[in-house]
Amino acid sequence: MTITQATSQVTAAKLSLSGLTKQYAAADEPAVNRLDMDVEEGHLVALLGPSGCGKTTTLQMVAGLLDPTAGSISVDGNDITHTPVHQRGMGMVFQSYALFPHMNVAQNVGFGLEMRKVAKPEQKARVAAALEMVQLGHLATRRVKALSGGQQQRIALARALVVEPTLLLLDEPLSNLDAKLRVSMRTEIRSIQQRLKATTLFVTHDQDEALDMSDRIAVMNKGLIEQFGSPAEVYERPRTSFVATFVGRANLFETIVGEDVGSAGGDERLYRVGVKGQDGFGAVGRPGLTGSTRTLLVRPHRLRVELAPDEPLPGAGRLAGVIRELGYTGNALSFGVEIGGTIVRAEMHASGAPIPRKGETAHLSWQPDDALILPEEVR
Amino acid sequence: MTKPRPDELAAGGADRDKRRRNLDRRTYWGLLLPGLLGLLVGYVLPLLWILRMAFNKGGPDGLVISAFSGDSLRKPLTDSYYLKVTVTTFRMGLLVAVLCVLASYPIALFLARSTSKWKGLLTALAIAPLLTSSVARSYGWIVILGSNGLVNSSLLGLGVISTPLKLTNNMTGVVIGLVEIFMPYAILVMISGFGQLNPQLEQAAASLGANAVKVFTRITLRLSMPGVLTAFLLVFVLSISTFVTPRLLGGGSVRVLATEIYDQANVLINWPLAAALSVIVFALFGIVISGYQRLIRKVEGIDR
Amino acid sequence: MSSREVPVPFKRRTGLGRPAFRVLVALLYLFLLAPLLIVLVISFSSNQFLSFPPEGFSLQWYRDLPHETVFVTGLQTSLITASIVTLIVLVMGVPAALAISRYDFKGKQLVASLFLSPLIVPTIVLALGLLLILGRVGWTDTYQGIVIGHLSITVPYVVRTTLISLQTRDTSCEDAARILGASGWTALRRITLPIIAPGIVAGAVMAFIVSFDEAVISLFVAQSGLRTLPVEVLTYVENQADASVAALSVCLILFSVLVVVAVERLMGLRVAAGG
Repeated sequence: MTITQATSQVTAAKLSLSGLTKQYAAADEPAVNRLDMDVEEGHLVALLGPSGCGKTTTLQMVAGLLDPTAGSISVDGNDITHTPVHQRGMGMVFQSYALFPHMNVAQNVGFGLEMRKVAKPEQKARVAAALEMVQLGHLATRRVKALSGGQQQRIALARALVVEPTLLLLDEPLSNLDAKLRVSMRTEIRSIQQRLKATTLFVTHDQDEALDMSDRIAVMNKGLIEQFGSPAEVYERPRTSFVATFVGRANLFETIVGEDVGSAGGDERLYRVGVKGQDGFGAVGRPGLTGSTRTLLVRPHRLRVELAPDEPLPGAGRLAGVIRELGYTGNALSFGVEIGGTIVRAEMHASGAPIPRKGETAHLSWQPDDALILPEEVR
Repeated sequence: MTKPRPDELAAGGADRDKRRRNLDRRTYWGLLLPGLLGLLVGYVLPLLWILRMAFNKGGPDGLVISAFSGDSLRKPLTDSYYLKVTVTTFRMGLLVAVLCVLASYPIALFLARSTSKWKGLLTALAIAPLLTSSVARSYGWIVILGSNGLVNSSLLGLGVISTPLKLTNNMTGVVIGLVEIFMPYAILVMISGFGQLNPQLEQAAASLGANAVKVFTRITLRLSMPGVLTAFLLVFVLSISTFVTPRLLGGGSVRVLATEIYDQANVLINWPLAAALSVIVFALFGIVISGYQRLIRKVEGIDR
Repeated sequence: MSSREVPVPFKRRTGLGRPAFRVLVALLYLFLLAPLLIVLVISFSSNQFLSFPPEGFSLQWYRDLPHETVFVTGLQTSLITASIVTLIVLVMGVPAALAISRYDFKGKQLVASLFLSPLIVPTIVLALGLLLILGRVGWTDTYQGIVIGHLSITVPYVVRTTLISLQTRDTSCEDAARILGASGWTALRRITLPIIAPGIVAGAVMAFIVSFDEAVISLFVAQSGLRTLPVEVLTYVENQADASVAALSVCLILFSVLVVVAVERLMGLRVAAGG
């Protein structure tokens, strides 16, 4: 369950991980478990997952800060698995920025060039250009301790980029910033990355960041990649319940897949499914699922909530339940509806109509296109 | 989710790991070499030599008779004079440690709790005496406690006494001097040991109905115990081995193990005996440390 | 949370009689600083002999200091030995601290304890042992003898402050340097050492002061030919009773305080008191 290639053509991948494994003690589960992944040139790939999933460990192995237990890492077709850190020519931004406190901004940014023995005048020019790119040219002589978090982060980025690295590695660079700054920095980093066409690996536990910034997302769990695909794929067509619940909010139902009713577009088929003992529901899935037990995914904002039921929609079943939880944020309403012993979550825009109360009955339904049968098998 | 099989580990990875480990080993032994060498010559060897010397016999005129006898060691343990010296030293150590901890506790408590802007300055002031030699401080005490000194002149002048109090050239002066000299050490140790103390704990206890005394004994004192014990140990160890103050403030009439060791080594030139007395000091030190470790475990165990 | 936020009823109940406590603390501070204050006062006294109270104000003791040959030679000896000791102990202690903090090796705890243990070993025992060893090779009353004698009691300070610096630093700076192309040695030299420099300097200052003020080991190891300042002062005080020692002490205290304050300003010596 580890191998997933990038969706379209793969010429020579810029970065290629093959069977990459990190195991600390022989008795424990590996922190990273035979990872295979290819990153296209110019792509920003997010390693997304909860803490402990192995995303940072993977990044550190690519950087050379950790030695893999097994497997290989190739960049531009060259095996760099055992190349020492300082010879890999990469650029990295740390969560804590790791700016050298005893040097000023220009010395920090120029450090990589110094290590490469670039001539002083060229160093100066390139440092100035890098600082301009992050709009901090005027801070060249400042001590780094005097800078704000956002400024430090941009300096760290300039320092990583000025050396024209083969790969750009970002280790949760936005986690230490406040919410507003996080969003604006996100856009800035993405635009710089696209302009420079820098192949980038980006570690984060924040799904919004991953969805917003990346060309591809690798959703990781317990040392494995559960899914590798574009943000739209990962959100709309998750392959496992972990991915479904980690990226976006999800309602999962156990279902026995009914008959195949027709094509749903592309490879996908439309099926009849039963949920919570009720028939009359529709869902989308890959071919050949009839008769199997699967997990059904319906996202909360795709559920239609009726408080006084109208005519049933063609092809749609309906679930009835009691509202146990209610949330109101001005523009949206969120419900927790108890159906058959579990809470099903629904969201809708607040239309200005009177807000329902806890204890009232609600009817939930959906369009078949809004429900997905997850390919993972249910034992 | 199977584990990688041994034969799947990168070929040559094992060799590379071994080479890396060897390089690491050479590096850290190389880093440790100057330090270990210096400690060997200036620390380990001298201590071992004392142990060896304690088994020698002292001859006339400073001759050291190489032997393997228990003569020298037996002397301090059987001779009534040396037993008295040992007991004196031990009692002095206890007295100084108790008084010093009592005197330092309020200051340490005050500094640990203080939130005023003078806290840094006051802490520095409490520790600053460590910047001076114990010779200078003992000298200061001579001036304060001597028959022509501050205390006597003031008391005589005020008519409180008619003859000067004998506060120097005796154990009293030595104890007073040592208590003051060791206070900075005790304060320093207690402050770092008071980390657990938090005014909110005391407020919580008060809100639950404890009066000031109860808050102090049940909360403050209990939590500060580890720091207090460590300070006690440190001051005791320093006291039983201190030389300068007993010599200056004792003026020759205060005989403790340290002054005896000096006399035997430099005046009477009986090195084996001096070594034997050192072994006694070390033994006292060892006993107290093990007692301390047992106590500390108990005290910290209660609070866990 | 300052005490001002505590509601009044609690304040009355939990303060240990606030003002009484403060008076106690003040008195104890007075006791703590008494000898130093007295020494300061006496250094300006015009009395010929050591007595209190001073009959008049005089700078005679300060004026006569440079003429007191034993003090001058003692000062010279102490400055030289303390400086050499500090240099050697830096070479001993800083690499050791680096090894202890970066590597996991068998016996690491033992080695760390070894380096820090001299602080609690009875000095008198060390002094005798050093006399025995140095006497054996004829190095008593020599510079090298004194230097060797001071190594064990000073190296713990350097090791401790350097270790604390190493343990509180952000290791990602070194990682960043290596990724930018610095080899292990370059990263150490250009990044790690400058960052831990305050800790190293704090340890060096403490080592210097400890060696300079050290009396017992110096007494055992060098008392006839070559004497350090504390040993000279000890001998002087036992034989004479005048206030020149007070003037000398005041100068030394002032000097120590100035050094510490200067280094604190330049580097931030908070690390010095830690442990």
